[in-house]
Amino acid sequence: MSTAPRTYSYYVEDRTRETTDRPAKFLEAFAAVLEHSSYALPLDIFSRLSTKCSRCAVTCQLYEVTGEERDIPCKRSELLLAVYRRYFTYGGNLRARLGGSFELTDEYIDLMGENYYRCTACRRCKASCPVGIDHGLITHLARYLLSEVDVIPKALVVSTREQLEGIGNTSAIPPNALVSTCEFLEEEFEDDYNVQIKLPVDVEGAEFVFFPAVSDYLLEPDTLMGNAAVMAVTGGSWTIGTGNYDGINYGLFYSDRMMERIIKKEVAEVRRLKGEKVLIGECGHATRSAWFGPTFCGSDAPPAINFLQYTHAQLMKGNIPLLDKKIEERVTYHDPCNLARSGRITEEPREILKAICADFVEMTPNRTENYCCGGGGGLVSIDEIRSFRTTLMGKRKADQIRATGAQIVVSPCANCKKQLAEVCEDNDLGDVQIVGLHDLLLKVIDFGPYRAKLAAEQECPLSNLGSTEEPD
Amino acid sequence: MEALIEWARGPAFIFSLTFMVLGLARHLLLTLWESARVIRRAGDRDIPYKQVFQATAKWLFPLDKLRHEVVFSVTSVVFHAAILVVPVLLAGHIKLLAATLGFSWPALPGVAADALTIVAVVTAIAIVIQRGTARATRQLSRIQDYLLPLIVALPFASGFLVMHPTWSPVSFELMLFVHVMSANLVLVLMPLTKLSHAVMLPSVQLVSELGWRWPVDSGSAVGVALGKESDPV
Repeated sequence: MSTAPRTYSYYVEDRTRETTDRPAKFLEAFAAVLEHSSYALPLDIFSRLSTKCSRCAVTCQLYEVTGEERDIPCKRSELLLAVYRRYFTYGGNLRARLGGSFELTDEYIDLMGENYYRCTACRRCKASCPVGIDHGLITHLARYLLSEVDVIPKALVVSTREQLEGIGNTSAIPPNALVSTCEFLEEEFEDDYNVQIKLPVDVEGAEFVFFPAVSDYLLEPDTLMGNAAVMAVTGGSWTIGTGNYDGINYGLFYSDRMMERIIKKEVAEVRRLKGEKVLIGECGHATRSAWFGPTFCGSDAPPAINFLQYTHAQLMKGNIPLLDKKIEERVTYHDPCNLARSGRITEEPREILKAICADFVEMTPNRTENYCCGGGGGLVSIDEIRSFRTTLMGKRKADQIRATGAQIVVSPCANCKKQLAEVCEDNDLGDVQIVGLHDLLLKVIDFGPYRAKLAAEQECPLSNLGSTEEPD
Repeated sequence: MEALIEWARGPAFIFSLTFMVLGLARHLLLTLWESARVIRRAGDRDIPYKQVFQATAKWLFPLDKLRHEVVFSVTSVVFHAAILVVPVLLAGHIKLLAATLGFSWPALPGVAADALTIVAVVTAIAIVIQRGTARATRQLSRIQDYLLPLIVALPFASGFLVMHPTWSPVSFELMLFVHVMSANLVLVLMPLTKLSHAVMLPSVQLVSELGWRWPVDSGSAVGVALGKESDPV
């Protein structure tokens, strides 16, 4: 019987304490995962080649602040590599027969449960590893295996359950509330900007089916209005689907099994609406997980793009008319790890910001080397670890923001925005405003040409027949 | 003593060299085989080869990486350069190999070889000292991490004394025996320890990328294997 107390820094569900025989179940899951995915190759190479040089330590924003041994990325990865070596390599088996001492225990599982949630899986350390070890991959895998013995932060599993088995999204917004929110935002456009802009719902055959972090519908009306405004002035063909309107995928943070189910749900909605592409709103992890579409669904999965890519392309083509005024405050940009670490989206937001801001400054380091906000890997959703997130994990980020002297920090990611707001509150940066990119863009879009086009169409309604923006 | 040296240079060396070559070849072939299998099974085969290649090249010639952790980085790069260059370009080694291979190549001048040998030994010791004194490395290090640089330095230190017998505390023959046997030890350790990075390093950036390339339906396949396919979240 277990003697481990099974207490963690984060809240867990009752079943975490009730699961029996965890070491055997962990190893059974490990064997199944090795067989059905592609982790065996990196585990084999990493466990052989890891040189323990510590370069990862000096690039980890957590270790830089805590100096604790358990926070060295290489040390953390070693926790799982030791299990792999002992149970899944010839050498490890042999050593065990000769009286090797390592054994996977209940306590060891708890140690992993704690330490793998002291990492945001930001993958900053990968670039500093001379050997090229991806510690983010190890954190990802370790959490997946831990979830198979029910070690999962309550915040993550509760949201995922709501999304897959409840109302259908992580914020539990019912479809009729979504429709009213869209109508409310349309009214806001009329009241605040004197312009008619639709948030199209359930339009079949649109090019893009839109999946923001669903929390945007509750918390970020300006981001959504910015998205809708860009689509309106560029004549973009898009729709929100009432079958699924949530881009959030906590599977990326704790379970490939859940990640696959959530992605398949997204793809199913695109197919139901006969759309062509997945369009992800301002959210880093939603984007990165949507990029896994072909991984789980094969090469005919609809391609996924981030809204920044669409807006950037349209702005460069001159399709987004801007007012003469610019954003006057000093603005800086925080790169969400899930967009920037691999170098996939770094320049698009900068070019947009430079076009609309009078005083844009970079924080250092940036782009692929940027510090994580401190809430990555799902940590931001775990409210009970706030002080860990903001004072230890987020310390470097606060220093970075302070050094820029910026009044506005732009980050196109729902998770980063929540975390950065808390980092600023807890680090004496209360005056700094955290906003999305489309929020700022909305302030400087010139709706004049769009209004004129609408007026012309109203005079001559036949010209509107070809539009895909009217619901069936 | 002479018989011992002949044994060390003959059968013992051939065994060590063969062990190293076969061991490393096994690692390399298994990695290539497994990489090909991962790519074949992957749902998403759109792999950013260019980026992987660039990252690999950057770490094989890590000159722009020296600006972080300057002392440790420079020591490490110099150490690696020295231990790669000296054994291959040493006049004595070339002469020995030319007798077997039937061809030779230009050697380092004696002074340069001496200097680089000293550099190899000094940097090896410096690496061990830095490992023990810097907090993060000390926290990470296993016994082998301290021992391996010293074991690698052994053939260099003994080789230097073979070339300069007047400085040697022991007889020339004994020093030659130590030199050859310590080199044999390094060869044997290559495939068994982290020293295998000498051959495997160029594969790791690709391997790190391939780790994320799972087969289609890999999540549900795990669910089925564990009998959890219809379990609630």
